Order: sequence, then C-alpha cells, then structure tokens
Amino acid sequence: MHSSIVGARIRQTRRAIGLTQAELARRIGISPSYLNLIEWNKRRIAGSLLRKIADALQLPLDEFEGTQETQLMEALAGLAHHPLLRTLDVESDRINELIGRFPGWARALGKLAGSERDATARVQILSDQLSNDPYLSETVHRMLTRIAAVRSSTEILTEYADLPDERRGRFNHIVHEEIETLSEVGEALATYLERSDHSDRILTPVDEVEALYEARNNHFQELEDAAQPLSDLLDDSEPLSRLQKAGSLAQHHLADVIDRVIESQPQIKTAAARSRARRALSNYGVRSILMPLASFAKRSAESLYDIEVLAEQFSSGIEAVCLRLTALPRSDSVPHFGYFRANAAGTIIAMLGLEGLSVPRYAAACPLWVLYRAQQSPEAVIRQRVLFPSGDRFVFVARARRAGPSGFGKPRHYITDMLALKEEDAKLTVYDPEPSATVEEVGPSCRMCPRMSCLHRVEDPLAE
Amino acid sequence: MAKRVLLAEDEPNIVESLTFLLERAGFEVAVKTDGRRALDTVLDDTPDLLILDVMLPELSGYEVLRHLRADQRSASLPVLMLTAKGQRADRETALECGADRFITKPFSNADVMAAVKELLNGNAA
Repeated sequence: MHSSIVGARIRQTRRAIGLTQAELARRIGISPSYLNLIEWNKRRIAGSLLRKIADALQLPLDEFEGTQETQLMEALAGLAHHPLLRTLDVESDRINELIGRFPGWARALGKLAGSERDATARVQILSDQLSNDPYLSETVHRMLTRIAAVRSSTEILTEYADLPDERRGRFNHIVHEEIETLSEVGEALATYLERSDHSDRILTPVDEVEALYEARNNHFQELEDAAQPLSDLLDDSEPLSRLQKAGSLAQHHLADVIDRVIESQPQIKTAAARSRARRALSNYGVRSILMPLASFAKRSAESLYDIEVLAEQFSSGIEAVCLRLTALPRSDSVPHFGYFRANAAGTIIAMLGLEGLSVPRYAAACPLWVLYRAQQSPEAVIRQRVLFPSGDRFVFVARARRAGPSGFGKPRHYITDMLALKEEDAKLTVYDPEPSATVEEVGPSCRMCPRMSCLHRVEDPLAE
Repeated sequence: MAKRVLLAEDEPNIVESLTFLLERAGFEVAVKTDGRRALDTVLDDTPDLLILDVMLPELSGYEVLRHLRADQRSASLPVLMLTAKGQRADRETALECGADRFITKPFSNADVMAAVKELLNGNAA
C-alpha cells in the first residue's frame, strides 16, 4: 500500500477524533516529530507500529492494508489523464491526499471512471463488430456453401431426366440434408442477433475463447502435466519431423485433457467456441511438448527472454516461442507478455492480451506500432519503447516472418509477430531499453486516442 | 483419352454433384479434401485441370496455388477457383495468386462446366 495514503489517513482520522499529534505520539510510544514525518509521508510505515496506530485511532487495520486503494489510486490516475478532462487542470499530483481525506468521494469517482471506460470500450466493440464480426462472416460463408450444394444438386435433378433412381434418391437426400443444416445455421444466426441486446453476454466465439485464456492467465497446467512425459518421446530428429511427431502425440494423448479443460470452463458456451478452443488448446499442447515448461522457463530466464535464442535452442519458430512466453506461469520474477499477430493489411489476426493495453480487436490499431513497421525490415527483431496517452509505458518487440512459399521473382508475403510487455517488466529481459532510448508516443487506435495533432490520424476519437 | 480433372474441395455434397457433372461430361475425376494432399497430388502427377476451393483444411486454396505457380511442373496448369466469399478482395487475391478463373458459391452448374471446358480447350490449343 502507498505510504502517502496511510499518512493522510492517519492525519485525517486523528484530527477527526480530536487528538493532537503529541498525544497520539505519546500513546503509541514514538516522538511527535517522527509521527509528523509519518503523517506527511516522509517515512514508510508498516507492521507493529501501523497496528499500534490503528488501535489508538480505533480503526480496523484493513483500512490501511489491501490492494483496494492501490487499484483506486490507479483508476484515479487514469481519470486524471482522461482526454475529456484535459482542460480542467485536475490535480493529478494530489490523488493520495484525495483518497486519504475523502475516501467515499474517491471511491465514487473510481467507480464512475470504471463504468465510463467499460461503456466506451463496449461502444467501440459494437461499432467495430457491425463491419468486421468474424462470427457473422463465418456464418455467411457456411450458409453460402450449403446453398451452393442445394443449388447444384437441384439443377442436376431437373436437368438430367435420365438419372437412375438410385442417383436421383441420392441427390434428393443431399438437398434435404443441406436444407436441414441451413435451417440450423439460420436459427443459430437469429439467436445470435437476438442475444445482441444483452449487455453482459460474451460477444462471439472468438470472445469466448479469449475469456477462457484470460481466466487461466494463458496457462493450462493440466496440459503441461500431460505434455511433460510426451516430450521425452521426441528424439533429436529434424525440426520438421519433431513438429509432426509432437502434432500426432498431442492428437492421440492430449485430446481428453483438452476436452476436460473445455468442459470445466464456464466461458465456453457455444459449439463454435468449443471447436475453436479445441484447436487453440491442441496447438498449445504441441508447443508444450516441443518446449516443455520446466526447461523452457529455465532457458527463458537464462537468455533474458531472447526470442531468437529460444527459437534456436528449441528448434522452433519465433511465433511458437512468443506464444510459449505468454503461457509462463505468473510470478513477480517473470515478465508478463502479451502477443499480437498482424498481416500485411494491418489486421490483427491473433492476440493474447496484456493487462492495461487496450487494443481494438476488429479494427486496425495505431499505425505507429512497430507491429506494422516490422514488415519494412523482415526477419529483424525490432524493439519499440512506447508511451500511451494514459501515461502507460510498454515495450514492443516485433519480427516479420515470411509466410507461404517463395522463389525468385515471386511475391513475398509476411506476417508479423509481436510481444508486448510493461516497461518495468522489460527490465527482466534483453529488451530492456536503455534510459536514453527514444520513447515513441502512440495510441490504442485513432478512435480511442486523444492526440488530435497526430499526423497519422485517420478517424476522429469517439470521446470527442 | 479422357482429360483428367483434380477436384480439391472438402464439402462432400459439393464434391458429389461436381463429380457427377464432370464424369457425365466425359472427364476422369480425382478428389482431394485437403490442401496439402491436393498440392502433393498435383506435383506428383499433374492433371489437365485443377478445381480448387479457397477454404480448405491444412493448406488454403491460395497457399496451394502459390506453391503450384512457383513450381515448374505446375506453373501453367489451368486452375479454376471456387469460393463462398464473393467480395472483390477475394477475387483479386485469387487472380494475384495465379488463378485462371474464379467462380463464387452458390454457382450454377452451367457456369462451372463452361469455365472447365473453356480452360481445357485453351490448354489443349
């Protein structure tokens, strides 16, 4: 907990019950000048002394402890930098005092800030969805495929009068079968559109799978446990055949574990999300066979999370290493990674989010991100130190890799993988920027960004 | 000798009707239901025409086509692409990848057969 909040709270409570500094100091057995330092946040305080003060002021100790106030402080700091409040000269340097003196008002402001943030994010998701909903486009694709089969079979039935009975029966059967499926797809689509009214619903199958990963902090211990013995079955063959072997081991030995994970998670509600989650977890399993957790965690720490070193040590691709890094179990000594993948058109085609980093899923992010610039220098690992309008600092590490075949004179296509981590986490890694490294001012996306004078702005912010 | 058509499509009911139509028109038809196997088959024993769906498991139709065009054995193989997405961007991607013709689902049988015959005659000439 922040000592500055504790100091203000002590001072406030002492005055409220009419105690002088000297009297309180006497009761708890310290000098008045030392209490004065504590009250004005010049000395940190904890343990038995804090307990004594709490007793003397008849305050429950948890008034001073816990993370609630730290969270509140972060929420209010975010609010102080809100683009809409920029011109109001909010005293962002006196947040501690506000929380200490007016805890109720501070909590009320924190609550309002949270609901405002949620509402803005929701508006953005909904407006992006109208144009780019992956579930909708997948469903339309399925419907068109079914209609194609019906149309083709019907044409055969009407145009080939000489069709033998058996064949005729077969095409009739196809038409019935496809129309039945078509009704099911149509019904699912109607239900999906109906549910759009509920504000608490999870939006698409993609969202459901993301919620699953979020609930598990991208880490699935039961899969790690099941993959561990399978790793020993891989020999030192060529990387490609190792990958194939790991794929078939995962298929044969991890399917049950994966099904159990999916069944046990309330986030996965629809059949579409179940099959998507199954694919994602099966790839997770393959990676945990190729890069077993214990040795991957050890070598990550040894190499300071250098993705190129790890890719070489585990004969794996950069993409797989990046995804594996996001799955490291959370601890204070391990940096927490987010992952983004973009194609040449700038669309984010895969992501595992990072706390505090807001990214539009269905629309392009800020063009200034190295995620997009990396394609100018393929295969090179590029680091970017960024500052968001909220004041949050991150380090981005991106590398573009060739996708698909190529040859002389043929077009080359690239996909970019990018890791994101908080700047303080970057200190644990080889990507820690030197203090003099350029800080680039970026945003989440134009719609969420208050930098009105940015040369790269393409849309007005939603909040204005 | 009958011309050989390879059909790379993973929807069984579409496979059934297209196979019927092609065989009725006197072609010899082989079917592959994923992109990887379709690619291997073409490189191993190039047919006279490939009908290629875009959304295939393992390797998408686009990827199959890029591989094929990069390989001498199949660089000039006539390819008819099928897809359920009729947007312009998809058409452009297909043509960029080297498709000779592009037909969107739901198609009419007559359109598919006309394209097949046209592509095979062009090749024979």
